Amino acid sequence: MEQPLIETKNLKKYFQTSEGNLHAVDGINLKIFKGKTLGVVGESGCGKSTLGRTIIRLLEATEGEVLFKGNNILDYGFEEMLNIRKDMQIIFQDPYASLNPRMTVSEIIVEPIKVSRIITNNNKINKKVSELMDTVGLAKRLVNSYPHELDGGRRQRIGIARALALNPEFIICDEPVSALDVSIQAQILNLMMDLQDEEGYTYMFITHDLSVVKHISDEIMVMYLGQAIEQASSDELFENPLHPYTQALLGAILVPNLSRRNENKEIVRGEVTNPISPKPGCRFAPRCPYFKEDCLGQEIEYKEVDKGHFVSCVLYNK
Amino acid sequence: MAERLLEIKDLNVVYETDESVVHAVNNLNLVINKGETLGLVGETGAGKTTAALSIMKLLPDKTGIIKRGEIGLENINITIATKYDKRLLRGNVISMIFQDPMTSLNPTLTVEYQIAEVLALHKKDMKKAELSKRVDEILEMVGLPPSRKHEYPHQFSGGMKQRVVIAIALACEPKLLLADEPTTALDVTIQAQILKLMKELKEKLDTAMLLITHDLGVVAEICDKVAIMYAGQIIEQGMIEDIFESKYHHPYTEGLFDAIPDLSKKTKRLNPVEGLMPDPTDLPTGCFFHVRCRKCMDICKTKEPEIKWTNADKTHLIKCHLFNDNK
Repeated sequence: MEQPLIETKNLKKYFQTSEGNLHAVDGINLKIFKGKTLGVVGESGCGKSTLGRTIIRLLEATEGEVLFKGNNILDYGFEEMLNIRKDMQIIFQDPYASLNPRMTVSEIIVEPIKVSRIITNNNKINKKVSELMDTVGLAKRLVNSYPHELDGGRRQRIGIARALALNPEFIICDEPVSALDVSIQAQILNLMMDLQDEEGYTYMFITHDLSVVKHISDEIMVMYLGQAIEQASSDELFENPLHPYTQALLGAILVPNLSRRNENKEIVRGEVTNPISPKPGCRFAPRCPYFKEDCLGQEIEYKEVDKGHFVSCVLYNK
Repeated sequence: MAERLLEIKDLNVVYETDESVVHAVNNLNLVINKGETLGLVGETGAGKTTAALSIMKLLPDKTGIIKRGEIGLENINITIATKYDKRLLRGNVISMIFQDPMTSLNPTLTVEYQIAEVLALHKKDMKKAELSKRVDEILEMVGLPPSRKHEYPHQFSGGMKQRVVIAIALACEPKLLLADEPTTALDVTIQAQILKLMKELKEKLDTAMLLITHDLGVVAEICDKVAIMYAGQIIEQGMIEDIFESKYHHPYTEGLFDAIPDLSKKTKRLNPVEGLMPDPTDLPTGCFFHVRCRKCMDICKTKEPEIKWTNADKTHLIKCHLFNDNK
């Protein structure tokens, strides 16, 4: 069988708080194959960003393994990590906060190249910068501009150019389009998909926007309070959502047409509960319309109910 | 004929700074009838919020200036309202829900105090006990347990804070509610809850609403009428069916719809409007949209298009040269 580019095994990240351990990422197993996109969906506080940051070691994992081409990078030392970072990059959510306001566009894009010393010749570096700016659709005249002079869409293009600077194989995209207007959002999504077609990048695409995730992903994983509760191919998940939370999420999407206007929609009640020291059992149980006693007290198995379709819910635990 | 509540005529708002003049709202015309919900749609910088702030008379002093036009609320022209009149209007006849519930509440005051404050200001004859009873009623109305009224904003989640903001806005049962992106900062399941609540309350209290949003999904859910704004102008306006089901559209409206990934279809590429919103300090000549328009003609570059009705009932209007002859 083909080896996944990225694989996590029982990955956990707990944060210590005065009230106990906050289970931000709690036993995630995932595989992403080369050239594919895994979408990670969930509401705020479900641990999707923490998962992304733990995978590229911006945060240290509490437990578990992250395998990149089969090697556990959590065991790597500083030098090895510096080396592997060339292959793993991240695009951040907020193009306003993730760029240093005191650096020009070219300085921002060059920084990863300088840090990793893959190119040392200044002329070559400048050539690389203009290539990158070309790739992401930034005009040459902006090379000495500062981020504050640019709008959100252009800033996000700088973030993308910076991530591409080292020719990575794997890119984590942490809500890269959430802060942008729809038409700019569509431009950036097109750019990212074109780049994937041309260069074969592998994406992990973190978002809360379900229509975006369906558009860009091959596989989708739904997270709730640190755990994966359902995973399937993009089409399968939208056609046949199994977990009640996935069903609720899909039901809450507002479509821009009038077909569902007067429908009496089932709206999931309540809000996300506390992720600090959760009790065993399904974490969605307090909000679930199908709540049964079996839901609490025991860990729910993350089961493959159909080929490639995983779900953790007692309803499918026959 | 429905009764008119708000009528904006030919409104022009500019922000004057030392270096330049920002033309935020240009010749805006808008009517909202009693009990009706109008969705004002547009991208960042389209002038949606400025329009709402002018109705609320909350434009920044000195820099924000209403150059021309009238805003009539029932029979009062609020553009010339005095400071005293403004105080009587705000919170009582018109109120506003802001985008970010995290920053629009005072963190140092209890929820009860913040709701009672509006009532105490506008209903001066209410006794303390009555006030407290009314606060309980309002909290229940927005789906919060009155037992939590002595708590502070930070003790509530985002969705609950937005419920508190709605409670404050509706405390005096205003005739017009301005909601500026009320669900943008919320998660989808919470957004669905809040929209449902707003829909119910609007019907119960017969409040008219101006809903500012960039999300056409929210509009389809809750609005009766829609106005699409671009560079401070309304470029298309109509009943909800006109916007979502008619085959005639402004090219910008088409671009907005094309930019949203369609869940029912498998499209490889999106087809958004290229380019960016024009600089409001230096607006183009002719149609403001011509620089980005796929159907741009010579006339668009020089002459500003007129407003045309596309149907006999005069409910659907488009401001575009494409519709000037045949329709």
